[in-house]
Amino acid sequence: MSDLPAIALQTTDLVVGYKKETETIQLFESLSLELRSGELVCFMGSNGIGKTTLIKTLAGIHKPLDGKIHRTQEAALVLTDRINSALMTVRDLVTYGRYPYLDWNLSLTLRDSQIIDAAIQQVRLEHIIDKRLVELSDGQIQMAMIAKALAQDTTVLLLDEPTAHLDLNNRVEIMNLLRSLSRNAGKTILVATHELDLALQTADRIWLATPDKKIVEGIPEDLVLNGTFDDVFQFKGFDLKTGKMTHTPYRNISVQLMGSGYEYLWTKNALERSGYEFRQEAPIRINVRALDNGFVWTLFMDSKEFTYSAVSQLLKKLSD
Amino acid sequence: MGSVTIPLGKLLQSFVADTGVAADILWQFRIPKALTCVLAGGALATGGLLMQTLFRNPLAGPDVLGLTSGSSLLVALLLMIGTLTPGLNNALFQSPWSVAIAASVGGILVFILIIFIARYVKDNTALLIVGLMVSAASSALVNVLQFTSQASDLQAFVIWMMGSVGGTEWPELVVLSILVLVGVAMSYTLIKPLNSLLLGENYAAGLRVNIKQARFWIVVATGLMTGAVTAFCGPIAFVGLAVPHLVRLILPVTNHKVLIPAVVLGGAVLLLVCDVLAQLPGSTQILPLNAVTSLIGAPVVIWMVIKAKRISV
Repeated sequence: MSDLPAIALQTTDLVVGYKKETETIQLFESLSLELRSGELVCFMGSNGIGKTTLIKTLAGIHKPLDGKIHRTQEAALVLTDRINSALMTVRDLVTYGRYPYLDWNLSLTLRDSQIIDAAIQQVRLEHIIDKRLVELSDGQIQMAMIAKALAQDTTVLLLDEPTAHLDLNNRVEIMNLLRSLSRNAGKTILVATHELDLALQTADRIWLATPDKKIVEGIPEDLVLNGTFDDVFQFKGFDLKTGKMTHTPYRNISVQLMGSGYEYLWTKNALERSGYEFRQEAPIRINVRALDNGFVWTLFMDSKEFTYSAVSQLLKKLSD
Repeated sequence: MGSVTIPLGKLLQSFVADTGVAADILWQFRIPKALTCVLAGGALATGGLLMQTLFRNPLAGPDVLGLTSGSSLLVALLLMIGTLTPGLNNALFQSPWSVAIAASVGGILVFILIIFIARYVKDNTALLIVGLMVSAASSALVNVLQFTSQASDLQAFVIWMMGSVGGTEWPELVVLSILVLVGVAMSYTLIKPLNSLLLGENYAAGLRVNIKQARFWIVVATGLMTGAVTAFCGPIAFVGLAVPHLVRLILPVTNHKVLIPAVVLGGAVLLLVCDVLAQLPGSTQILPLNAVTSLIGAPVVIWMVIKAKRISV
């Protein structure tokens, strides 16, 4: 075990929840988990299972019901709370990261300013440093929030749904950034997220909240193959092992598809989606090839041969 | 400015030489009044800024959320007890310190009540309605107290309710200055938690800012400032609400290190201007100060709501 990186955060028999007037609501019971230096862990689970509360508890801004949290250092936080101050600039926001180190008068040292600038560079927002938050896109605001957390200069970053409400491009950008922060800057990162596909492709480990108030942890591939994901999410019409929606071949027509590369995969996607079944030696055969300036689909049907330059034309002929 | 016209030459002369009617008017009325304007305007505006930041609500202010009504209530109560119990030492009840402290306590109590309600009411608009109700309730109680008091007291009280910066004499002015300076100084030491509160309580806690402690001091500072002003000038409307927005219009920043001095200055200037307008220069007529601040403040707020659609703190 000596070759494992150092533990950055560890919980022992942690009980997470909150007290609501007379009753105590327990969200997680006896968690014994750890985050190791430099790893990216995605924390997943159904809505309302208590991901935000656990993140806040780990950050030390919410009291645990029982158990202990060992942190070598403070953790920096990115939450889903919206900032209403329209006049605040990116620099103002990132400066907040230095607050734990500043006195009451908020006088910034040269080093503070350097750390702020470096944090803004890490998220590549240098060009909009003096823009106000109202002028930013949701993705840029999220990047600025991450910069604020970076300016706090802690080893551990805890993020709650940083990719919620963002488009695919921004989601990928943020996950890539977090990936590189853990790889290159040695940050220990825990991200609560709903992005199953992104999590599976970027996380070193997954924490998966189960309905019995526990957290199962493991590397993404193991959790996929041993069915833990299927148990927790109860997928309806989604096959995690292939990463695709399940299709029923409702047309009762079998085809044989030949080809390779992306064009093969996307043609297969189109045919599955349209309810065709794949079988070797089927009476209908389709061949797809790449040309210099595009693709060509050849259809062998009723001992005739047709050629098309787009999948849509192929589908139209098949459904006639 | 006042109902007696003093030529500029005589005015300058009165500053230096301590004699004559003009000098009396200057030192006994006009300078105390101007100082009162500066102190009251600065204090109310700072109180408004603190409340807007604490509640993260651009429409919060000492008058809107009922703090000034709470102060009025306690002042009325104090005066009542003073007149109804002749055995007690009247001077104690009428000293500027007891009036100011009673008013501050009234403001602080209402502030605590509003914070308590704000825990259950997350909606900003609902909070304002609660503030209006608190204010209506304490005004009603003040009315009940008035009903039982003597005619002369009543008239004084009604004039006080209209808001006035002209009634302060030097002893009162000393109390007002001390309380306002303490309040403003306290607010300035709170710039770190105030800035942090703009991010919301979770982030503030994440930055290791002690929210509970900060909230306590914000309440005390705001209560002291609005209480002292209300005690000596009556409930002055709209200054606390409007000044922070007017200042941000000219100086668009969110850092309280800059905002607090700017708002103090803005409040002082606005109230001085309002007072000049209330005097109707060159005439012997005096308008109630509240009428002027409302005439200026209300359209400003409406105009800002329409222009910015979403005003923010």
